[in-house]
Amino acid sequence: MNEQKPGFAVSSFALLVIAFLQVPVIVVVLAGFSETSYLTIPPQGLTLRWFGEVLTDPTYLSAIRISLILAVSATLASMVLGVAAAYAIHKKMLPGSDAITSFLMAPLVVPSVVVGVALLQYFTLIGWRGSFLALILAHTIITVPYIVRSVLASLSGIDPSLEEAARVLGANGPSAFRLVTLPLIKPGLVAGALFAFVTSMENVPVTIFLASARQTTLPILIFSSVEMGVDPSVAAVSTLLIVATAVVLLLAERWAGFHKFV
Amino acid sequence: MNSARTGLLLIAPLAIVLVGAFLVSVLLLAPTSFREYLPGTGIVPDSWTLENYLRIATDDFYREVVWRTLALGLGVTAACLMLGYPVAYLIVRGDPRWRLPLTLLVIFPLMLNLVVRSFGWIALLTNRGLVNNLLMSLGIIDEPLKLMFNLTGVMIGMVHIYLPFMVLMLVAALQNVPRDVEAAAATLGSGRMHVFTAVTLPLTAPGIIAGSILVFVLSISALVTPRMLGGPTYQVMATLIYDEYMQLLDWSSGSALSFTLVAIAVAIIWLSNRAAKRWAGLA
Repeated sequence: MNEQKPGFAVSSFALLVIAFLQVPVIVVVLAGFSETSYLTIPPQGLTLRWFGEVLTDPTYLSAIRISLILAVSATLASMVLGVAAAYAIHKKMLPGSDAITSFLMAPLVVPSVVVGVALLQYFTLIGWRGSFLALILAHTIITVPYIVRSVLASLSGIDPSLEEAARVLGANGPSAFRLVTLPLIKPGLVAGALFAFVTSMENVPVTIFLASARQTTLPILIFSSVEMGVDPSVAAVSTLLIVATAVVLLLAERWAGFHKFV
Repeated sequence: MNSARTGLLLIAPLAIVLVGAFLVSVLLLAPTSFREYLPGTGIVPDSWTLENYLRIATDDFYREVVWRTLALGLGVTAACLMLGYPVAYLIVRGDPRWRLPLTLLVIFPLMLNLVVRSFGWIALLTNRGLVNNLLMSLGIIDEPLKLMFNLTGVMIGMVHIYLPFMVLMLVAALQNVPRDVEAAAATLGSGRMHVFTAVTLPLTAPGIIAGSILVFVLSISALVTPRMLGGPTYQVMATLIYDEYMQLLDWSSGSALSFTLVAIAVAIIWLSNRAAKRWAGLA
């Protein structure tokens, strides 16, 4: 049987490209353990000093805390708003579902930096500049399309007769949704929430225009400290983020088969 | 139960948030982009001028930044396509046991913080970074190569960042190619290369187009990587918008540039959707 399979040359090239994708990750991790105060690769001597410095530095701790609070709040808000809207669109409760979906996806089409400056001007006008709630609102706007998209994808894979069966057996609309539909879309919801969380956690182009000095998030801190020069504590905090990302990705893969939703 | 009313109740909260904050704020940029800006004084209220847009079309500096942004977008898209296709092919057509680990290795950099990935490239590409140290200790070069604050650095960083998107789009497209069609072409005497160019490649065209639009639009909008690897002097549209808002405080010019960027992105998406539909109609 003459099957189309990647040959040796194609496979080796592809593996090299996949290796290229991991290079900066490996470099950052190695740099985080370096003993010298300037960044060298390969590291000269191994030390955990920079990790200690990051975990005791109030600037880093505050940035990590603010990033986490912001990402969790925005993700939760997006989940509530996004699941409700996606369910209504899926059930075609309103006319013009396609147009509504396009509108809900619009924050993905407009470049983030434009969303950032637009919200900067708007929040300045209405006096919300510097408010943490306004920052959560901004992150909700940029994360909600991911929830809507993955929940819509999950909903379209559900057999509608399941919810009907629940209704016939006496469940009302809300409980049929909670007992039947919600558990079925859980993998898609988990994947969408993870995407939303990661998007919020790494956002610079919107946050940098809106966050006051006391609201500096972790990516903003790294982004602006790199302009001052490279320092191994940046590599250390980045290594912590790399490990956290890897753990979350593997857990999401086990729970929800994450790769199917990307 | 009235389903339209339930639908309205379910959609309203999100619609109110998006209309009230996102749509209104973007529309409010429009009047600003037509206002006159006087350095030192600020925006002149109730003024009306096309100056901010004319400058983008005529001023050499602005024109260079716009062309550089578009050229960079094209270069990044082409590179992602050429590097990404073999990866997607290996994932879909290679040994099924390797499929999940390879997919996760592609997703992992995508999920990793953008700032961290760009930082990794800085550590590699600066004058005293890994690449230059390695080449110098091997005696290949005497002086460090200039790999940052120019096209090389920004290209490398952006290709790395947008490659996973392209791979995932191409994986989806390749999965939809029926293997029987390829097998039929092979049975009828086509060589492997010919099966690929005559069957596989055309059948994955929708994925190639979708992936290319995505990567192009993302790369012309990118702020973080061009700033971190290009520095303050190698400007693209997004970094210039940032500087006009935060350093020069010229919001008028910044919002005109923002609208130009949105217009380019929307035009590209609209045109390629049309092209894709026409193509699908012909096929």
